Amino acid sequence: MGGTLAFDILIAEDEPSILESLDFILRRAGWSVESVTDGEAVLERVRRELPRILVLDVMLPKRSGFDVLKQLRSEELTRVLPVLILTAKGQQQDRRIAEELGADGFVTKPYSNAEVVGAVRQLLGDNDRAA
Amino acid sequence: MRAPIGFRISNRRKSLKISQVALARLVGISPSYLNLIENNKRDVGGALLQRVALHLNIDIDDLTGQAEQKLLQDLEEAYAEPMVESLPFQPDERRQMVAQYPASAQAMARLHRAYTEAVASADAFADRLRSDPLLGQLLHQVLSGVTAVRSSAEILEEVADLDEGERGRFLASIGRETRNLGAVARNLIGHFENASASRRSVSAAREIDDLLIERTNYFPALEVAAEGMRSDVERHGKFGLEGLVAALETQFGVRVAIGGVPPSGPADFPGQYRYFPELTTMWLQGATTLATRQFQLARLYGELAAGSIIDTELAEAALESPAALRLARRALGSYLAGAMVFPYSRFLEQAEKTGYDIDQLRQVYYASYEQVAHRLVSLRRPGEEGVPFGFLRSDPAGRLTKHFPLPGLLLPYSGHACPLWAIYGAFRTPDMPVRQVVRFSDGSRYLFVARTVQRRAAAFHEPPVMASVMLACNVLHADKLVYAQGLDLGNAGADVEVGPTCRLCTRSNCASRQEEPLAPAPGRENLRTALVPNGFALGGGG
Repeated sequence: MGGTLAFDILIAEDEPSILESLDFILRRAGWSVESVTDGEAVLERVRRELPRILVLDVMLPKRSGFDVLKQLRSEELTRVLPVLILTAKGQQQDRRIAEELGADGFVTKPYSNAEVVGAVRQLLGDNDRAA
Repeated sequence: MRAPIGFRISNRRKSLKISQVALARLVGISPSYLNLIENNKRDVGGALLQRVALHLNIDIDDLTGQAEQKLLQDLEEAYAEPMVESLPFQPDERRQMVAQYPASAQAMARLHRAYTEAVASADAFADRLRSDPLLGQLLHQVLSGVTAVRSSAEILEEVADLDEGERGRFLASIGRETRNLGAVARNLIGHFENASASRRSVSAAREIDDLLIERTNYFPALEVAAEGMRSDVERHGKFGLEGLVAALETQFGVRVAIGGVPPSGPADFPGQYRYFPELTTMWLQGATTLATRQFQLARLYGELAAGSIIDTELAEAALESPAALRLARRALGSYLAGAMVFPYSRFLEQAEKTGYDIDQLRQVYYASYEQVAHRLVSLRRPGEEGVPFGFLRSDPAGRLTKHFPLPGLLLPYSGHACPLWAIYGAFRTPDMPVRQVVRFSDGSRYLFVARTVQRRAAAFHEPPVMASVMLACNVLHADKLVYAQGLDLGNAGADVEVGPTCRLCTRSNCASRQEEPLAPAPGRENLRTALVPNGFALGGGG
């Protein structure tokens, strides 16, 4: 049954080391976290259960982050799902496209852990959680 | 405050040891009149000044002081350079330098120009590096590695209660990523060693490219001018061939001759049309299409009526080389014509309505395929944008002959593109649009739409001039185009895997590769080798 908010954060990131640390810091900040490592898996996962926020890397195998974002915005269920995009420094063009496609926030690699936690917290509106 | 012209004439005459009487006779005036001129009591100009310059064997600009004036301006510019402007110059130092040490002043001006060119060329290289796909890929790896290392290190530093397992995991992650970064760094170094060997100076094409990218292929001042000019033409009749011919005739006294021999005698130039300014006549070959006639007459009208606006645009663009200036002037003339033939808002609306169907748009505006494709590229008015397109044209030999950049997509400036591109496939099915979803090695995907276009030959027995024209747009915008109908844009499985050109492409398994990449992966074989490697031989050869 779609539409239930089963967990807080879905991370879509294909670099194992980055995924590992992201998973760790977001859990530590008190959220429940799941992860996928390619674009198609993102769509499958959110169709089954909707997270409260999607942390989406731009460069994903199978379907790019842009493609995923475009698809999410075209479906009723995920039209307003908050999406935080991970872009790389210097890729202004990426950021512009993501903005055009309806991303809600950006964190630029290389980031500090506090930046990611801050951006997620802001999009979730969770001001009361401890870091 | 330039030195009066009379003194210059007098000085020059004396230095050549010609008497006032002799010079007066040579230029056909009385000695007393020449005396008045030399004492700055009479003005001199026009034909007389030319005769004086001729007989004194000196450039007219040197006599009138214009050469000096130009030099002075160049120096003003050099002295305004932020790194020297705070030096304690005397108030009149530049002027004195020009007057007393003209050669040194010139040296300074030339050095300054060379310096500005070097800075521009460094900028161009920086741009170029940014759009280099291999470099992009390596940088992406660097950023990923750094992100992982930084994040893991922060966890190790800041989280006090990590258990042994967690600590081990993050330490291992740092170790793994640092080793990767080392490999990437070695690759990068190899890339630069190769790249520096093939350094080129800033070419004219690149300068124009920079200009077009900076303005996103859109020139508001020219759009405004074109709108006004179109209404002017419409006062002489409906916009089109007749209106343009009448407007050119009444406003500029220009005669349009279609067909027959050019007014200057049998054609000694290539091409289907030419303007003869001394005869104020525009000649078009009899075989030209209506689309060509309309467009070229609009272009002539634009260049005649809005020359000063083109000049202003060019001055702002600060192009370095004369070749770039000439090409840019030509490009802006064509831009004006496009903007006149296809009025912005109406054209955009029709383009959106027809799904950017170029053949439909052609019919609406009596225009050629290339003219429409060209105009689509310029639909970048802020707040009123169409789909962003890049544009390329190739001749049948594969040489790229025209180019409008699309930010993010690396279109080669010249030479050849990737042989897999639709721009070449289009030659195999003339007059039929060929579409293609391509993927570059960085994962970016584009829709390419290409079609051949043909210029009419002057006579039936002459070979027609063929070219292929291609539009490129990001696949994310492609669903707005009629050319994407029936394609599953979200499915990358059928993408054609391409590169920009072989030299800049990183795909090692491409069957179409014709040239080595600039930076081959370490240990990879050369492209063309014998089947049996050197040193491996069967039998008792030794």
